Amino acid sequence: MRILATLVLGAGLALSAPALAEESATQATLYKSPQCGCCESYADYLRANGYEVEVVATHDLPLVKQQHSVPTALEGCHTTLVDGYVVEGHVPVTTLDRLLAERPAIKGISLPGMPTGSPGMSGPKTEPFTIYELSDEAKVYAVE
Amino acid sequence: MISKPAFASAVGRRSVMLGGGAAVALYALRLPGTGHAAGTSPAVRAYSLVAERGRVPLVGAPYPETDVWCYGGRVPGPELRVRQGDRLRIAVENQLDEETTVHWHGLRVPNAMDGVPHLTQAPIAPGETFTYEFDVPDAGTFWYHPHQRSFEQVGRGLYGALIIEEPEPIPVDRDVTWVLDDWRLLETAAISDDFGNLHDVSHAGRVGNTATVNGRVPDRFAVRAGERIRLRLVNAANARIFGLAFEGHAPMVIALDGQPVAPHAPEGGRVVLGPAMRIDLILDMTGRPGGRFRVIDGFYEGLEYRLLDIAYTDAPPLRETPLDAPVRLSANPLAEPDLAAAERHEILFGGGMMGGMMSSMMDGRHMDMREMMRHGMAWTVNGVAATGHVHEPLITLARGRSCILTLRNETAWWHPIHLHGHAFRVITRDGAPTRYREWQDTVLLSPRETAEIAFVADNPGDWMLHCHILEHQAGGMMGVVRIA
Repeated sequence: MRILATLVLGAGLALSAPALAEESATQATLYKSPQCGCCESYADYLRANGYEVEVVATHDLPLVKQQHSVPTALEGCHTTLVDGYVVEGHVPVTTLDRLLAERPAIKGISLPGMPTGSPGMSGPKTEPFTIYELSDEAKVYAVE
Repeated sequence: MISKPAFASAVGRRSVMLGGGAAVALYALRLPGTGHAAGTSPAVRAYSLVAERGRVPLVGAPYPETDVWCYGGRVPGPELRVRQGDRLRIAVENQLDEETTVHWHGLRVPNAMDGVPHLTQAPIAPGETFTYEFDVPDAGTFWYHPHQRSFEQVGRGLYGALIIEEPEPIPVDRDVTWVLDDWRLLETAAISDDFGNLHDVSHAGRVGNTATVNGRVPDRFAVRAGERIRLRLVNAANARIFGLAFEGHAPMVIALDGQPVAPHAPEGGRVVLGPAMRIDLILDMTGRPGGRFRVIDGFYEGLEYRLLDIAYTDAPPLRETPLDAPVRLSANPLAEPDLAAAERHEILFGGGMMGGMMSSMMDGRHMDMREMMRHGMAWTVNGVAATGHVHEPLITLARGRSCILTLRNETAWWHPIHLHGHAFRVITRDGAPTRYREWQDTVLLSPRETAEIAFVADNPGDWMLHCHILEHQAGGMMGVVRIA
């Protein structure tokens, strides 16, 4: 545990909650800034698509990204840990499902920035979404 | 829902006591033999501050000390304590590896003494000294900090309290300062060096994971039953908003940003301070000897934590009923704005995540939000993302004019908006008159909130108007108000 003098007083509650999830649902943990609403919308989107999502609000999000070696250029708004992968930003489930089905030997994927029209973001989709592998080479994983 | 903090056992091993110890050392800094002319000339209080690297026990054993940047080898820097009407002469020596300045936050100083690099002075180069000299017209709780790359310099520990005592202070048993801060620490108690990262810039700023009071992770604040304390709170954090509840006690707010306000209980029992704000409280210690009460910071929902315990000694009560003495402070000599004749201007704050697709100007070019962010910027004032301290004024006011500024927060985020060189009355929030018409120098705007502030533009010069979440300021949320 990090030195957290400001550690959440109710942390015990938050950590004990997800045990009741349906066995079939894929578990995801989404780390977000406390006051960011679009991340909550993305969590709802994942839930609507069959994921069991625990949302963790933390002031330490930049440290979470560092800890999971997310390159600066590939940072999204929130960071999701799912089934051994790091999923950065508003990645659509088509690509997320494919990642979890194919299980490539990569750390994870990212839809960097916060493109309008992406899941959880408002506004129209104005361009194809390019999803990258989480690596320094930033290889394209999918375009949709 | 509040339960025991998981970190309590580690904290409990230490016994950090907060008390008057800091203040004792301060008086030692007042240099002997400084001018003290009776009669017409104000007393000159001379100090020297050295901005330098240091190593301090922020968290305390068993954690190692933390490398910081600080004034005089300590965090916070020395508390400067002078009398209203004094003249301050402060030599600031820069022993950092980069340029710096000192801004005297909330003090109505001449423009050339305001400490804004390039706008009001050349930055102080490494190895150089700059001497600030000014009178202090207002009594109250103020603070000092750099204005050069402040998101890192303040974030690493460069700040201190500046207390201006009233000629006849209200009677209290103890006058105590808590300089609040928070730090983003790693497991080694070292400061995470990710200052200015784009996530912090575009969201809530650099909110830390470790809160300190007077430079230490606090455990308890020792008090005696029956005593009356004037507690001066200073929020020196880059971005954290504190919302303090004093369990079992009924604090009274007597000053905001150093300026007296009609004594009142804080709204909802919670004392809310945005970054850079100060609040003076009267705290009557009405608990029994041996009692223990928590001070909870509950500003961020779901992330509440215990800041410290108020710990009563076993000494018998100093008095059985609270001290029967006035708590209202005398007003400072501020010019009252003439609202009927005031000049009106609107200032819009934009940008940030969830701010919609906005177009803005940066370095004279139109950009959308994503392009701005590729340049490390995320915020605007009146549609412009400012990239330095020197820009075309947002507005120019004739000296002596009364002025009402409508500050419109068009973002999904909180912003403490600070105007240099003046105090202003906050006269409305979202169209409703404020109850206390409080004087402030930093007004905390909630998401989408609009406030009107009124003041007399009586201090000539170019003055910064900016968000005091220091990452928001660096990310474009600043501008200049010219008084000519």
